[in-house]
Amino acid sequence: MPARRLLAALLATGVVLVPLAWLWQASLLPATYAVTDMGIPDDGRGSTGHAGHGVHAGGRSVETLTGPVGEPADVDVELVVREGPAGYTLNGTSPGPVIRAELGQLVQVRLVNESVADGTTLHWHGVDVPNAEDGVAGVTQDAVPVGGSHTYRFRVNRAGTFWYHSHQVSHEQVRRGLLGALVVTPPGGVGTRDELALVHLYDGTRTVNGRGGETHVDAVDGERVRVRVINTDNAPMSAWVPGSPVRVVAVDGTDVHEPGELRDVAVEITGGARADLEVVAPARVELGGAAVLVGERVPAPAPRPVAELDLLTYGTPAPLGVDPAAASRSFRYVIGRSPGFLDGVPGMWWTINGHTYPDVPMFTVAEGDVVRMRLENRSGDGHPMHLHGHHAVVLSRDGVPATGSPWWVDTLQVGDGETYEIAFVADNPGVWTDHCHNLPHAVEGLLAHLMYEGVSTPYRVGGPNTPE
Amino acid sequence: MKSVYRVLAYLVALEVVVQAAAIAFAVAGLGAWISQGGVLDAAAMESESTEFTGVAGFMVHGINGQMILPLIALLLLLSSFFAGIPGGVLWAGLVLLTVVVQVLLGIFGHGAPVLGLLHGAVALVLFSLAVVAARRSETALRAADDVVAPGTAGVA
Repeated sequence: MPARRLLAALLATGVVLVPLAWLWQASLLPATYAVTDMGIPDDGRGSTGHAGHGVHAGGRSVETLTGPVGEPADVDVELVVREGPAGYTLNGTSPGPVIRAELGQLVQVRLVNESVADGTTLHWHGVDVPNAEDGVAGVTQDAVPVGGSHTYRFRVNRAGTFWYHSHQVSHEQVRRGLLGALVVTPPGGVGTRDELALVHLYDGTRTVNGRGGETHVDAVDGERVRVRVINTDNAPMSAWVPGSPVRVVAVDGTDVHEPGELRDVAVEITGGARADLEVVAPARVELGGAAVLVGERVPAPAPRPVAELDLLTYGTPAPLGVDPAAASRSFRYVIGRSPGFLDGVPGMWWTINGHTYPDVPMFTVAEGDVVRMRLENRSGDGHPMHLHGHHAVVLSRDGVPATGSPWWVDTLQVGDGETYEIAFVADNPGVWTDHCHNLPHAVEGLLAHLMYEGVSTPYRVGGPNTPE
Repeated sequence: MKSVYRVLAYLVALEVVVQAAAIAFAVAGLGAWISQGGVLDAAAMESESTEFTGVAGFMVHGINGQMILPLIALLLLLSSFFAGIPGGVLWAGLVLLTVVVQVLLGIFGHGAPVLGLLHGAVALVLFSLAVVAARRSETALRAADDVVAPGTAGVA
């Protein structure tokens, strides 16, 4: 090969490879890092900073933002977690024991890691706990190693259906069973028979409370029964009640205002979300491959109805308790997807506001702010978006305002091509994960944080802490 | 380097065949599983625990299409700079461009199924481009053989 042609070939190779090598190198994450040093600061007031110039908050440490200290617990539970060849168990079972509490009670849970090699934590999905109790490894605590323990204490100030799960190597630990239900009732109960349907896929089989097939619930004809459906998987499932009426009385641990009677309508419950269905016995609650049979002589199974409940218009309006027009911060959370490197690995990765992890926004607020967030999905795939520590109210979808009951969520399915406007009050200081609850997607970079001014974390992601 | 180019170009064509076979295997397996009572919704689809004959086809299609094929196409382009095949860089560039288009069509086809029609059709375009590139290198190899001086054949 003539020297001049060789030189041209080498130059062309450089033109192709040098930018790739630069992108690869730039994507490498440090061995450990504080999430508060990460990302592009966004104060929600139009000024954004630059990647790598973290928000140096100082002030209060996450460690101090605990639940009540020194008071006796009303509900006291110990959960011993083990890892076995078939998956994870809590006190010998998966799902773990149901934790039940009444509104206002102080719940204390001591997590003991007997044999989970990667370490573990417990996150209280949907409960707006104080930040130090949130259970995110590397953000609000260190992962609990084998032989270690960690005690969570929080007061339950919202009656509803919740669940708990690991937030350490969560895409793996949740799939393989490190989870359970948490039910908070008003004092005296909900006024009907109260049943739980925690749905999880074990090895591809859909189960209800750990059992496949049909689950029977005793009820006399005409009795009203609340079935609390929890979707612990990564993406939406549907519930429907063939041949009899149903009301969706609560969503994500919040009562629906004046829910109307539904017939032949499917209720979508996205990954991590909950819906409380009220049926009248006898009734069959179909969950797609599993079912809850309420009472005797229930109607025959039927395929999923085509019509789907739209929570944007369901129920009747009621005061929100928050004025979105008075928002002091306004954020965009635009989900996309593009080719690139994530910590040195090439692939098609999720982007937030145009950048791949870790150059994702760091949403910064102060206590008392009313916050609006616009969730836009242009990624080719749907995402169950989950903000820790807060409930947000849906204002609109694709520009169409919500006209039904106030629709409060902690986990919101944002379909491909959809745009949601939500609002919430920044009333729970800390550093909060705001991520996709399709947990492998969080591993693939669909993960950001909401942090309060003046709050810092001593914990670091990396090393023993792998929150996703 | 002409031979390297030739092997890489045929590898791209072979990979298109593997992609078609893998996805057909997966879809057939999925159909059989559903007809035997398997239930598929988004939660089951996104659960890495769903198991049926052919499920590996989805994984092979994804990993092959998003990682291995782009890598081979990139190597083909790099080899084209050194191979000295008339039009070699152009054909390798077209192969790489088509691979990028295929990845995007595959990914965004999840949200807009009509893109799947294009994805299937463009696969045949990619196959053809790869074969044309390979045949070009063969022509160049033969031409090189014809002009070498006696006693030095095969050294090039």
